[in-house]
Amino acid sequence: MRFRWSWLQTGIGPWPIENALMETTTFTSQLLQYLITGLTIGSIYSMVAIGFNIIYNVTEIINFAQGEFVMLGGLVMVTLHTVAGLNLLIAFPLAVGLVTLIGVLLDRLAIRPIRNPSVLTLIIATIAASILIKGAAMLIWGKNPHDLPAFSGRDPISFFGAVIQPQYLWVFGFLVLIVVILTLFFDKTIAGKAMSACADNPHAASLVGINVNRMILLSFILSAAIGATAGIIITPISLMEFDRGAMLAVKGFAAAILGGLGSFPGAVAGGLILGLIESLGAGLISSGYKDAFALLILLALLFFRPSGLLGNAQVSRIKRF
Amino acid sequence: MLLEINGLSTYYDNIAALKAVDIRVAKGQIVAIIGANGAGKSTLLKTISGLVRPRAGTIRLRDIDLCGLAPERIVAHGVTQVPEGRQIFAHLSVLDNLHLGAYLYHKRRHRSEIKTKIQTLYRMFPILQRRAQQIAGTLSGGEQQMLAIARALMGRPELLLLDEPSMGLAPLIVRDIFSVLRRLNADGTTILLVEQNARAALTIADYAYVLETGSVTLEGPAGELLDNPRVKASYLGG
Repeated sequence: MRFRWSWLQTGIGPWPIENALMETTTFTSQLLQYLITGLTIGSIYSMVAIGFNIIYNVTEIINFAQGEFVMLGGLVMVTLHTVAGLNLLIAFPLAVGLVTLIGVLLDRLAIRPIRNPSVLTLIIATIAASILIKGAAMLIWGKNPHDLPAFSGRDPISFFGAVIQPQYLWVFGFLVLIVVILTLFFDKTIAGKAMSACADNPHAASLVGINVNRMILLSFILSAAIGATAGIIITPISLMEFDRGAMLAVKGFAAAILGGLGSFPGAVAGGLILGLIESLGAGLISSGYKDAFALLILLALLFFRPSGLLGNAQVSRIKRF
Repeated sequence: MLLEINGLSTYYDNIAALKAVDIRVAKGQIVAIIGANGAGKSTLLKTISGLVRPRAGTIRLRDIDLCGLAPERIVAHGVTQVPEGRQIFAHLSVLDNLHLGAYLYHKRRHRSEIKTKIQTLYRMFPILQRRAQQIAGTLSGGEQQMLAIARALMGRPELLLLDEPSMGLAPLIVRDIFSVLRRLNADGTTILLVEQNARAALTIADYAYVLETGSVTLEGPAGELLDNPRVKASYLGG
């Protein structure tokens, strides 16, 4: 069964209880439904945008394989949990770990070996890696979408006439968890500060004894782990297939630009706003234009406010990209 | 001899920035490298710090060969550079900058030593204590230079390399910075100082080298160079 975006918008999907509930909806509750759905998908965009920012801040690279981490997270989890039958609590960290390993390989095999790299060369390397990962995923998992059981079942919760899937709450919860962990990491640990120092001035960072290459590797590890988490928690809602990464990368990139490239609060805000616009646009205007909204916002921002909502125009000028 | 550089040549593509340079720094000395813009002074410090790879020559710290080591390894051996233009971490707080200066000590979890060192540096630079929570990029030029020096000292270097510490600073602040350098040296830190402000550098140095288009053209005790007619004509404004 192929996922249809309209299920998210209307609640009419493979879940019969929702069907019944939604028949009695008023416009207000429908609007609330769009908001909840928008925030859910927006949380995933936020996570992708955070992943973009972590790597961008340390290296100035836009890692276009970021969406592939999300796709791999979902599909590796499908294999471990549904096919191999591993318990959720074991399969989840294992899937994140395996995708993180691919993040490590991306840094070691695609980024580090390039001699005298320019930022543009490295970005092209990530695009190549993304195509490669997508191709490999198609060979392994095929072209069909795969489903995962929801973490706490699929009994919908009624909320002022709108319907909340329990999995939505997991998505919000994980976004909060990721934000809290990253805030503590960057504010309280010396490794986090060393990463910020590399983002600020890699030359000076190496002059105080920070191994910049190791920090770049750490940025790929963190981004891959966050991407994989996003993939695992969204798959029970929207299924996952081999070619989902590219569009997720575009949406996450739009969210990162919307919030201001490099800004973590911006990434969260950008992702949520983008999710809301998409959901409201698809619900109130037409779901056929769902992807167009994100691209329109991306284009408009790049034309009129390239520093984003929370970004600093001066900082974006300093960066070489 | 603490630092011994022999026949050091560094190239940017095919342009020679340093040509067979020999330099010696004895323990406890202040050694100054003076020269005009583009003479290769900064390249020399970058090569010692491992930011630029030399094409030929040797750099020995006691009996350790520093050539070809990564910058962070060289810092671990006790050689720390205060880079040209300060290069503090502008978006982090003053206190974070200091903590990052002791990055290698953090990795070894020497927390109490780090706290003690920060207190010592606050006594040396009281302004940094008052500005501890301020974002470093908002400090004045002189304060940023003090932070850059303090950050380098957090790593307890045996040899401190300074690249143009007086650049862009008012004369009074330059005087303060140089008096700090003199005090550090009196406390046992060996200093290799690269400066365009030749008079200030030669006044505090024990020994000095004149670098011109990548080669050492003159060397001697700093006091003698201050009186040298060629140095006077070229670097001390007659």
